[in-house]
Amino acid sequence: MDWTYFTEFDFEIIWRFFPALLSGLWNNIILTSTSFCIGGIFIGTMLAMVSMVKIVIIRWVVIIFTEFWRSTPLLVQAIWIHFAFPVISGLQTTPFQSALIALTLNVSAYCSEIIRAGILSVPKGQYEAAKSLGLPIYVSWIKIILPQALKTVIPPLTGTIISIFKATAILSVLAINDIMRAAQRISSYTFKPLEIYTSAAILAFLIGYLITRFGNFMENKFSKVES
Amino acid sequence: MDFQTHLIWNNFPFLIQGLWLTLSATAVALLIGIIQGGIFCYLKLSNNVFAYRLSSYYITFFRTTPEMILIFWGYFCIPLITQQKISGFWSGSIILGFVTAAYLAEIFRAGIEAIPKGQIEASFSLSIPIIPRWRFIILPQALKLMVPPLVNYFTELIKNTTLLSAIGVAELALQAYLLGGQTYRYLEFLSAIAFIYFVIIFPFTLFSRRFEKINELN
Repeated sequence: MDWTYFTEFDFEIIWRFFPALLSGLWNNIILTSTSFCIGGIFIGTMLAMVSMVKIVIIRWVVIIFTEFWRSTPLLVQAIWIHFAFPVISGLQTTPFQSALIALTLNVSAYCSEIIRAGILSVPKGQYEAAKSLGLPIYVSWIKIILPQALKTVIPPLTGTIISIFKATAILSVLAINDIMRAAQRISSYTFKPLEIYTSAAILAFLIGYLITRFGNFMENKFSKVES
Repeated sequence: MDFQTHLIWNNFPFLIQGLWLTLSATAVALLIGIIQGGIFCYLKLSNNVFAYRLSSYYITFFRTTPEMILIFWGYFCIPLITQQKISGFWSGSIILGFVTAAYLAEIFRAGIEAIPKGQIEASFSLSIPIIPRWRFIILPQALKLMVPPLVNYFTELIKNTTLLSAIGVAELALQAYLLGGQTYRYLEFLSAIAFIYFVIIFPFTLFSRRFEKINELN
């Protein structure tokens, strides 16, 4: 054991490269928020609603889609979209685009399950009441069912934000300039892996911790409303 | 677009090697995770404030920091600190084991705390010794509740072993990526491993769901 590396911790290097790490972290945050808003909330809700359609084939397509995205690793999905998908489609995407597409679809699969459970938790009488009042289908979804589902859905959804944030670090394998890639570059440039990786880990932990606290706050708030 | 299946069959031994590494990394991480998770669960349930704090800090840290950064940290920094060469496989699976420990500790704790308090009080009032108390009263009830989250986490762990490819462990994902690079046929190999992962992971998902339903019925 050699603890001198800790006693000779070089803070100067951390300060010098701190902006680079932060700009990497900013990319992680952008990826997290974009994929959560588009994939989690928008596509997730769509998938959840479609998975309740009475037509068996459509339902099965959605179920197979979500199960497939949930049962394969994000890393494989990301490199598949970046390297294999262009072979089929002929469209070459930039690393950032491929990362965003993979993450968005992955998140949408996870969130659609949560939202589906939330929609199922709305009592059946609500649907029947909406139907008997002759409300158009989109009004009954937007004004009646989704707002009620929201209450049960929000705590687990905020919980998924933290796992999305953790997953964004995986996407550095596609050479997008996130915190991982920044840390790798800096440490191979300065030969100070301990300082750089430790500070990257602490930075990422701080952001993750903030998200967790936010999730706990939302959970408390919404569980109070329900009871 | 032509899908050349024969490429996959010709290189199947490499994929099997990769699969073997994936599974052994999972096994190492799981072993470390179960032992250490049990210890941290014990610490968290103990009445000692210091032990409680220690284990909750550990759990929060390893649950909120991205695994990727931890794996890189382990790969570059464990050899510096211990002054010994450690292969990517071992440093990576040990770090994954630490992460697993944090999750498993929480799962264990949730399972044990879900047992009605009356059960434990009854065992105290009957003055049942500690070993039979755990063996016949607490564990059988807690394990039943723990199985679905444990299986779910196990599938997460298999998925997380792909991160070891970033530090050069030739597990399934890296093996396929390298083969794809050699033959310029990414589509075949990447689709093949996506399918392999799906075949491995999906039965566990189904099992945990079924078990959850059984638990609900009871």
